[in-house]
Amino acid sequence: MTTDTLGEMTPEQATALAGRIEAQLNQVLIGQPAITRQVMIALITGGHVLIEGVPGLGKTLLARSLARVLELDFQRIQFTPDLMPSDVTGHVLFDSQTGDFRVRKGPAFTNLLLADEINRAPAKTQAALLEVMQERRITIEGESFELAPPFVVLATQNPLDQEGTYPLPEAELDRFLFKILIDYPSHEDEARMMEMVLDGRLPDSLDAAQLTPEANAEGILALGRQADAVILDRALVDYILRLVRATRDHPSLVQGGGPRASIALARTAKTQALLAGRDFVIPDDVKQVAAPVLRHRLRLGVDADIEGQTVESLLEQLLEQVEAPRQ
Amino acid sequence: MDLNRLNARLAPRSSWQAVDVGTRFYRRWWRQASLVWLVFTAVPFALLAGYAAATRSAWPLFLFWWLKPLWERPLLAFYSRALFDDYPGPLALLRAFPKYGFNGLAAQLTWRRFSPSRGFLTGVWQLEGTRGARVSGRIAVMLRPPGQRAGTLTLTVLGLEHAMTVALVVLAMTLVPWQFNLEWSVWFQEQSHLQWGFVNLAWYLVLMVTEPLYMATSFALYLNQRTWLEGWDLQLGLTRIGERRRRAGGGAALALLLVLFAAAPHPVDAQAPPPEQADPKQQAIELLASDTFMPFEERQDRRLRESLRDDDGDSWWQDLLRRLLDREPDGDGRDPLKVPDGLITGLGYLLLALLLVVILMMVRRYLPGMGGRGPDGKPVMPVRVAGLDTRAESLPADLEQALDQELARGDVRAALALLLRDGLVTLFHYRPLPLTAGATEQDCLRAYQRELDGAPVIAWLTALINAWTRTAWAHRPSDEQAVRELMARWRALRPPLAGGPR
Repeated sequence: MTTDTLGEMTPEQATALAGRIEAQLNQVLIGQPAITRQVMIALITGGHVLIEGVPGLGKTLLARSLARVLELDFQRIQFTPDLMPSDVTGHVLFDSQTGDFRVRKGPAFTNLLLADEINRAPAKTQAALLEVMQERRITIEGESFELAPPFVVLATQNPLDQEGTYPLPEAELDRFLFKILIDYPSHEDEARMMEMVLDGRLPDSLDAAQLTPEANAEGILALGRQADAVILDRALVDYILRLVRATRDHPSLVQGGGPRASIALARTAKTQALLAGRDFVIPDDVKQVAAPVLRHRLRLGVDADIEGQTVESLLEQLLEQVEAPRQ
Repeated sequence: MDLNRLNARLAPRSSWQAVDVGTRFYRRWWRQASLVWLVFTAVPFALLAGYAAATRSAWPLFLFWWLKPLWERPLLAFYSRALFDDYPGPLALLRAFPKYGFNGLAAQLTWRRFSPSRGFLTGVWQLEGTRGARVSGRIAVMLRPPGQRAGTLTLTVLGLEHAMTVALVVLAMTLVPWQFNLEWSVWFQEQSHLQWGFVNLAWYLVLMVTEPLYMATSFALYLNQRTWLEGWDLQLGLTRIGERRRRAGGGAALALLLVLFAAAPHPVDAQAPPPEQADPKQQAIELLASDTFMPFEERQDRRLRESLRDDDGDSWWQDLLRRLLDREPDGDGRDPLKVPDGLITGLGYLLLALLLVVILMMVRRYLPGMGGRGPDGKPVMPVRVAGLDTRAESLPADLEQALDQELARGDVRAALALLLRDGLVTLFHYRPLPLTAGATEQDCLRAYQRELDGAPVIAWLTALINAWTRTAWAHRPSDEQAVRELMARWRALRPPLAGGPR
């Protein structure tokens, strides 16, 4: 299938296309198949992603590669304490030659926006971006501009070195569909990556030019429509609700998932099913996307924190304890 | 040992006051007592702790703890002589150990090891030299009212020992610079030589305080009990008077005579006493009232404020306070707190047992991989797996017949569910795995694939779960023939699996 024939597709075609995109991404992001899968799910679902990991694990490379494989417009903003909202959205400037005001669009006018170290910018700038993420529209001096779909923000933050950062408030974190934790590759994968770089099979620089485009913006939207058509049984809706509500009642959590979390779980489970080659969701799809959907929406209580519990461990417990859906 | 050089005023006291006297013993002689403890225990502890650290085993330290009655004997020997202003050095105590150290030690290290009155009763063997069958009788007498509090004291010092150990460890850890990024939970899980050594050293340092304190207070309780039972204060007082009189040319007989005279009915004077002679009765009264014979002591007791006493008298907490505080202490020779020592000790042990149970339950809950296991460690089949009822009694006696009935009704989903339930229950009994209520069909399949990789039943289970998944979640029921084929395969596979665990 070429990028020209991506209007409507069968589920099998959709799965095959998603598989090819993932394969391309896995060529450059060695040893992180789960990360590429989760980013693909977010992209197809049309949600934004918060990626947390130490520098040097290929976050920018992943975003560039995605843009290349999907022929999407790509922009990157390095968030710093002096970044202004207008540096993200754009501003109006006076053209002395024409004597007119004209809009200078900011980097947010793109398909794929990499917001590097989002927690380094002050709350006002973060809020400007998060508003764009929610509305998918930018207003400059009273004039509104719709963003061309797909519009996906890949925001990153460093778990270490928290000095001088502005942590994202819970309400704003909720707008991210996924929070993905990116960790070092395994010993074997890192060795393979070193060999590939040393043999010249993998460029040392952040170069995604070797990748071939597999789809375009329309292709991604078509995949999204296919995901929407995936069957989600009523019992699974009930399971999702029980899972999310269990986070609200858990004694170790002071904040559980809201309705937005339930919706995100349902939508991403559908996309996960599509990528797994099915046109129906099974309970395992929900379990697979539960952690990235819920981890940034839950807040651990002080006691649990002192006891050394983590959101991840609590989620594991919940997935074991909440009864699997009944048919 | 000079009995005249008594370092404390013996008098019948309440148990709490006796314990207070014991703490004064410790405060006065803590340097010497700590040195005695150090000399007798430092080398054994270093050897045992070193071996424990090398082998990462706990039993050498358990052995040190178990031998506490042995380590406590020199301390009691020291206190018993220090009371009479005689301070034996550690070497003298070491040399004399065979004389005082072995009587009753075997009993204290075996069936009497968990006696809550351990320190209190050590004197029965060590100081009195009681042996054989007389020991039980003597212990029974010693444990009689007026209410010694040896068990409560042991529990209190035990709690103090644990609290101080934890506090010392925590204090030391808080002093570690933050750059070391010390994570407590991880630090304790690692169990390195350093951690073993550090925690054990902290425990030993605490024992250097608590053990001399424990023996001092136990000894004071022991003295108090003997004062109540045997009138030691009177005995020592009379002995002192006798010795003084003997030195003055009189003799002990005169002292006894004076006492007897004082206790006798008032005589009628036949004639006026000569003016140069002192009145013997008056002399006896003065002697008895003198500071050397029966020293006066100031006691303080607590009472509820009048305002509280006048309030609602039926309130339970006021009643409790009154019971605790508002009695005349020792007015009737009883302990003001009337709760029996055995009850307090029993409650203490009960609390310890409850704490142990809670810890075990928490370990069971939080330890990874323990989920889905019973108290015996064996996996327990949840009532539901993958949303299906997996209780064996919920399955029909004749599976094939039930399946035929479902198919005859055209309910393929119910037939597949029946087959899957029977398959999971049979497999679980054949090879129990820790499945949880949250396990899905695929979780079960993966678990048994890992366990029985390559077995024919895995291929059957895969086909069954695929058929079930399509039916249940995609709403595309398999055809009847496919279900019958699955049943036919199961008919061949089931008997060896149903035979029992392998």
